[in-house]
Amino acid sequence: MKGTQLGELEEIVLLTVALLYNDAYGVAVLEELSSRLERPMSLGVVHRTLQRLEEKGLVHSRFSEPIAERGGRSKRLFTITLAGEQAVQEARRIRNELWDGIPKTAFGRLT
Amino acid sequence: MNRENKDHLQNHSKRSGIQPPRWAEQLLIRITAPYIRDEVLGDLHELFQKRVHRYGVTKAQLLYVLEMLLLFHPRLWRKPGQPIHTDTKQTDYSDPNLKTMISNYVKIAFRKLNRHKSYTLINVLSLSLGIAGAILTFTLVKYHLSFDTFHADYNRIYRITTELRSEKVTYSTGVPNPMGEAFKSGYDVAEKVGRIGFLKERVVSVSPQKKFKEDVAFADSDLLHIFNFPLLEGNPRTALQERNTALITQRIAKKYFGDNDPIGQLLRIDSSLVVTITGVLQNLPATTDFHTEIYLPYSNLQDHSPWMVEKDWWLGFNKEMQCFIKLKSGVSAAMVDSNILPAISAKYYDKENAKIFQFKLQPLLDVHFNPKLRGYMEKKNLWTFALIGFFLVVTACVNFINLATAQALDRSREIGVRKALGSQRGALFWQFITETALIASVALIIALGLAYLVVPTINQWFDIELAINPLTDTYLFTFLLGLLLIVTFCSGAYPGLILARFQPVLALKGKLSQQSAGGFSLRRGLVVTQFAISQLLIIGTLIITNQLRYSEQANMGFQKDAIVILPMPDNQKSKITTLGAQLSAMAGVQNVTFFDSPPATEFLASTGIRYASRVKAESFNISYKTGDDQFVPTFKIPILAGRNLASSDTVREYLLNEAAVKALGLASLQDVIGKTATINGQLGTIVGVMKNFHFKSFRIAIEPLCLTTRREMYTSCGIKVNPTNLKATLAGFEKVWTTLYPSSIYMYRFLDEDIDRLYKLDSLLLRLIQWFAGIAIFVGCLGLYGLVSFMADQKKKEIGVRKVLGASTSGILWLFGKEFSRLLLLAFVLAAPLGWWSMNKWLASFVYRIEIGPDIFLLAILITFLVALLTVSLRSVKAALVNPIKSLRAE
Repeated sequence: MKGTQLGELEEIVLLTVALLYNDAYGVAVLEELSSRLERPMSLGVVHRTLQRLEEKGLVHSRFSEPIAERGGRSKRLFTITLAGEQAVQEARRIRNELWDGIPKTAFGRLT
Repeated sequence: MNRENKDHLQNHSKRSGIQPPRWAEQLLIRITAPYIRDEVLGDLHELFQKRVHRYGVTKAQLLYVLEMLLLFHPRLWRKPGQPIHTDTKQTDYSDPNLKTMISNYVKIAFRKLNRHKSYTLINVLSLSLGIAGAILTFTLVKYHLSFDTFHADYNRIYRITTELRSEKVTYSTGVPNPMGEAFKSGYDVAEKVGRIGFLKERVVSVSPQKKFKEDVAFADSDLLHIFNFPLLEGNPRTALQERNTALITQRIAKKYFGDNDPIGQLLRIDSSLVVTITGVLQNLPATTDFHTEIYLPYSNLQDHSPWMVEKDWWLGFNKEMQCFIKLKSGVSAAMVDSNILPAISAKYYDKENAKIFQFKLQPLLDVHFNPKLRGYMEKKNLWTFALIGFFLVVTACVNFINLATAQALDRSREIGVRKALGSQRGALFWQFITETALIASVALIIALGLAYLVVPTINQWFDIELAINPLTDTYLFTFLLGLLLIVTFCSGAYPGLILARFQPVLALKGKLSQQSAGGFSLRRGLVVTQFAISQLLIIGTLIITNQLRYSEQANMGFQKDAIVILPMPDNQKSKITTLGAQLSAMAGVQNVTFFDSPPATEFLASTGIRYASRVKAESFNISYKTGDDQFVPTFKIPILAGRNLASSDTVREYLLNEAAVKALGLASLQDVIGKTATINGQLGTIVGVMKNFHFKSFRIAIEPLCLTTRREMYTSCGIKVNPTNLKATLAGFEKVWTTLYPSSIYMYRFLDEDIDRLYKLDSLLLRLIQWFAGIAIFVGCLGLYGLVSFMADQKKKEIGVRKVLGASTSGILWLFGKEFSRLLLLAFVLAAPLGWWSMNKWLASFVYRIEIGPDIFLLAILITFLVALLTVSLRSVKAALVNPIKSLRAE
């Protein structure tokens, strides 16, 4: 089960990778997430999630050239794979269906 | 990382100055799986650089380490994950890979520790307290050992000191004034020679409104080349050479002139000297005994304090007139001590004095530690601290071993299963070590936090500047790493070995006895050690407390309560008379007296004495104190024979103490009355004999003392006040004083505070030992509690059976109690003689001291007994009260 399911964090990270398109790597994803989510996020969490996504085949990675600002190390750049695209589409579809299914009276009863 | 990359990296580090903590980077390089190493380090580096801009270096470094810690996860070091196809993921244990193995160990350790929460809690708590103590003592000891090591070539720098070898040897940090010149011109061994005269608490002002008390020093310009006091502004070649110039530190510049340029500004030193600032020195580090921050040229000493350099003679010296030298490299201090300095004595003194005046070199690094030469801290004290810190770690480790071996039996089944499944002994051992390492690491982090919180308090006590920062302090970092390793192995190895040795069949059957679980006797031994350490510390605390209380409350031989002391900036006759008259007229004032030093002080000048018509001077020195005719009545010093001094401004009459009469070899006190004596070169009549009083601390025996009137020496005024309505009285003093001395700063102190200061370091020592003793006892109790709970679990069934058979609750409590009482007594047998011996050594530095009686030992054992009893009963009562049905039903 665990293998195919997309966790909430995984979904957000996957979407961020898609959003950043050609420049998605650890720090970029971390900063994008920190600016959007109102909770502290550590590099470790981002890394592990990206690794997991890659193991699941939802993203694909390649190395950049070494960069001086990073102490002469290269970036691992992530791009979303077809499977990844499908996974987020699927997640979106489920959510949309849920939204559509909410009866009008469910919200705002207290007003 | 390939070669090209590495070069690139190094080039880069050279270019930009700020780098993330190296050790953290190294650690990551070591443990990170190769295929993600570049990426992880690069990300961290990039974040670090951004954070340096945003928050500054320190915070960026802290965040770097935090990020690094959060990265720790098996994913960091395992091989690249295979794409997941199946629903269940399996780690491949068939491949004996070190990384998988360690991650497995860590995983199991986590589960284990999580299951035994109280066990983990006790261990972490006691270890963190122990380690925190060790960190603090380490920092403290390191701080003191680093004193004055920042000077370049500090091992070639020496102070010339004086030893007066008459009947008794007296030591002084000062040398006669011509010494510097004689040493420099006559002998070619020193690279630089610098004289310096320290003057404490002078009034330094830039305007009548802006004045402070400041220490100043008059120094030869060579001193700047001996000491590493870097000049930030000004010309190092001309500094301290021209008269009426001054060098000040950045701190003083800021204090007096704010952000204005201090160069060219004027400073007034007391009322006698106005100097131009020609240079600014870098702030002095905290680890130096030379705190002076204003330096004036030596040639100005003549204008400011002519009495210090009054005569260019060899017979007088002052402890504040010092001489520092930097030997040429290759010249040994021993050679100078044995050849050159005796040659100087021989050359400049007549035969008799050459024997008395001896000079010795004192290494710069000895200055902080030598108690004979006014060193701040004895090395002995430092080693005591270090030993106590070591003890704390030992007790914590003892807890660990105790609990772990006690638990071993509990885990015998787990071990049996593992062995049956083919675990190697080594693997079991390492697994246990991993568990220990995990606990120790957590404890270390907590301990660091604790130490960090406590350091400001310790700094305040000792008035020092300790800092705890393992990121920048390599010594501390190495120490912590070493401590972690030692603690892990010391406390993990033994239980680990025991666990690994279990016979699988017996273990599986649950038939292992306490004996084969090993270490029952060892555990007893360890508990004894723990108790012995606690008792040793308790004995120490009690004895130091008693001695200090004795020093505080004992009769010094004079009245010390309700006496206010006002220092006076000068001693002109008219001012003294006015001050005396106005103060005496105030309500609440009983007596007013003028003197050079209060009855008890740390340092007192001593001088030669020639009695009556004897031809030769006496062979002993007599301590010399001046005070007016009110001195004796104010401090209520009993006169045993003759009468008090008559009022006078010059030396006319002498009062001696009993010790002086005895030293003169006279049988009766009456014999000296009416005789003359030449003391300090001045003739006077002995008019009376005072009862002996303690004119120095209790460390020193009462020696011969004389008191005489001599107005030009008076520096302070002592006022016996009525303690009611003290506030108004003190306010009145200030008013009178400031109208008389408008350009000076009013200060007052109470005499008893002054006396407490004689024992300041001792009371600090006491406070530290009290804290450490408290921690040791607490840690010991934690261990005891853990051990008793374990015993209670083990004996559950035994207790049940006993209860069913009619045993009383108290009888069952005794089951636990007798074992521990025995151990406690055994510990006492060890601790008592050790404590007696070591405390006797400490007390030996006091001439007037308490006796170590049996009451102290009784009290020590009583305290440990009570605390241990409380701890044991806390748990054993619960065990004794349990309904036997519950514990026996399972059978």
